[in-house]
Amino acid sequence: MYRRWLWPGFALPGVVWLIVLFVVPFYTVVAVALGTVDPILFQPVPIWNPLEWNVGWLNEVIHRLGPGGNLTDVALRTLQYVAISLVLSLLIGYPVAYYIARLAGRTKALLLILVIAPLWINYLMRMLAWVNLLAPDGYVNRFLTYTHILSEPRDWLGGRPSTVILALVYGYIPFLILPLFAALDRIDKSHLEAARDLGASRFSTFVHVTLPLSKVGILGGAVLIALPMFGDYYTPNIVSGAPQTSMIGNQIDLYFHGGPQPTIGAAITIVLAAFLTLLMGYYLWTIHRATREARTA
Amino acid sequence: MTHHPKERYGGLNRRDFLLRSAVAASALSGASGLLAACSSSTTAEQETTVGSTGAGEPEPLGPGGLPLARPHKRVELPLWEDPIESGLEPETGGTFTVYNYPDYFYKKLLTQFGKEYGVKVQYTPFDNIASGIQRLASGAVQPDVMEMTPDNLDLAVAGKLIKPINIDYVPNLAKNIWPELVSPFYDVDSHYTVPYTCYATGIAWRNDKVSEDIAAMSQPWDIFWEAEAYAGKTALLSEERETIGMALLRKGELDLNTEDPALIDQAVADLKELYDICNIKIGDIQYQAIPEGTAWLNQAWSGDMIAAYIYYLPKGTPASVLSYWKAEKGNVPVQNDCFSICSTTKKPVLAHHFLNFMLDNGVSYENFVDFNGYQPPLNEIDPETLVTDGVVPENLANCVLTNDDFGPDSLQYMTLTQNGQKLWQDGYSDFLAGGS
Repeated sequence: MYRRWLWPGFALPGVVWLIVLFVVPFYTVVAVALGTVDPILFQPVPIWNPLEWNVGWLNEVIHRLGPGGNLTDVALRTLQYVAISLVLSLLIGYPVAYYIARLAGRTKALLLILVIAPLWINYLMRMLAWVNLLAPDGYVNRFLTYTHILSEPRDWLGGRPSTVILALVYGYIPFLILPLFAALDRIDKSHLEAARDLGASRFSTFVHVTLPLSKVGILGGAVLIALPMFGDYYTPNIVSGAPQTSMIGNQIDLYFHGGPQPTIGAAITIVLAAFLTLLMGYYLWTIHRATREARTA
Repeated sequence: MTHHPKERYGGLNRRDFLLRSAVAASALSGASGLLAACSSSTTAEQETTVGSTGAGEPEPLGPGGLPLARPHKRVELPLWEDPIESGLEPETGGTFTVYNYPDYFYKKLLTQFGKEYGVKVQYTPFDNIASGIQRLASGAVQPDVMEMTPDNLDLAVAGKLIKPINIDYVPNLAKNIWPELVSPFYDVDSHYTVPYTCYATGIAWRNDKVSEDIAAMSQPWDIFWEAEAYAGKTALLSEERETIGMALLRKGELDLNTEDPALIDQAVADLKELYDICNIKIGDIQYQAIPEGTAWLNQAWSGDMIAAYIYYLPKGTPASVLSYWKAEKGNVPVQNDCFSICSTTKKPVLAHHFLNFMLDNGVSYENFVDFNGYQPPLNEIDPETLVTDGVVPENLANCVLTNDDFGPDSLQYMTLTQNGQKLWQDGYSDFLAGGS
């Protein structure tokens, strides 16, 4: 009996953690989105019993996010920003992770610390630092004009989508590099040597061996940064401030910031979570398949 | 729900959201009982029609079923309990908690108050008034006094979150404060509030960057629709009432508390034109952005321009580059903040003394010019004196309000019905979404 529960018992802290910090809060969000609003204080009143759920707010949000709805554009813009940021992050992060994992040698630990170092500083502080750097007379413009890359200072903070995307990339890329590094570092060198021994070029080895074996790391990192990016609202606020670069998170923020419709904010959160579950589902399926293939190999 | 000049990057994060969710049930249970208490004791003045209009239409009501105050429609709020008796000695010892926006009260003055009454004064900040009230309702904080805004007053009273004031303890109110705010339209006889600061909404700009003489324009608000040359440097306040209200004013609509969907839709459509005209931005850092030159043209609160001059003007930049315009009385949105005594106070007498302390001429003036930048409605303050004393440069003298700005014909954003609030919020959501 004791042995039967010993090993599953090790999962208990994690399970409790998940229940307390994920399941309960998420159910609370659902209960708020499908709940009502206190008519005096305009506070959300969660409905805990699924049989009594009120789907009115959720229907309204789905309608507003659908074709012709007033939230369609901001939802598509968010998708676009996250997709571009993800691609850029991969283009930048993969070589960095690859170098650290495969080529850095003794400097591996130091480089890893340098990748993580920005995370020691609060995200908002880092973004506010960029506001100074990107100012018309900031160091970025000074450098670009001094080197004649630009003929005159660029108004980076004038509500440009490119600035928001670059800020997203900067803010989240360490979270992509770390799982990528872990995946690349785990690749058995003998696989690479076998490929080379069989006549594959360096490039071919990378394409046919390294890249497929790092797929789980790529997906893990991508999921890890895509999820918070979808809900981000402070990055566009700080580096842009233009409604034309706002993201769906700004709408959630608006409805929670005050007023009589916090349930709308919760309902948008639910719809966003449902969409993100699809991404997460694909990631989990990929992991499952990779694990199965590894067992059969 | 109006926001406040002191609300900066104050967005709710997920943690706040979950906290809010968790406290909602307790807030509801407390509030429903209060509604019953208020509805049975409403004693509105003659100017207030409660229950029905002459046309047989039901009178729109605010939170808790309380009548909606307007500058031309005075409301006396119900007393949900009797104020404390007169002549009691203030409590001493322990901690006295002031609940307010961050950096909105000079700590030196709070320390002075603490020394005077033998208490330790603690300053507990909130991000915005909505979350502040929410925390108060949840019991997460037990302050003695708090900042209050007139548009949230109904809610706080209906929720029994603030206590009735015995004005006998606050002689400075009648002695030092503008008569218009001694017994204001939103709280006749000052049952729950005393005024704290006041400000107007207008346009701030850098006159070395913006070539138009905005103040001389027939409709100065039009400048935002003519700001092609200032794209990326033009911003509106990040606040649904102010933003949509500005578009209404531009079209000559003076009812800033309208709940007419057609008017709101038109205002939002007008605002959306600004995307392509000047890539309009929204934000509440005009007090810093205008003096530093990162914004050239901004919808702005008057207090922010005084703070801009006092604190944010870079060395070498003369104050003369700052300009501010606000409309004439009757066309300019004005607001005032208040202070109230929280129901959670364990020191109700001392809380009354605090209200009197903050309305002292010396204390109030020092809080304004040495720290806050937001003007108190003191009788002794006038624009000319402030200019003469060098507190405000001559070109920003119009940032100083006078009691004439407040009155029955003033424009003030006030509490809307629940449907009205939805209407304005959804309109702002539409604008914030940014179009295609």
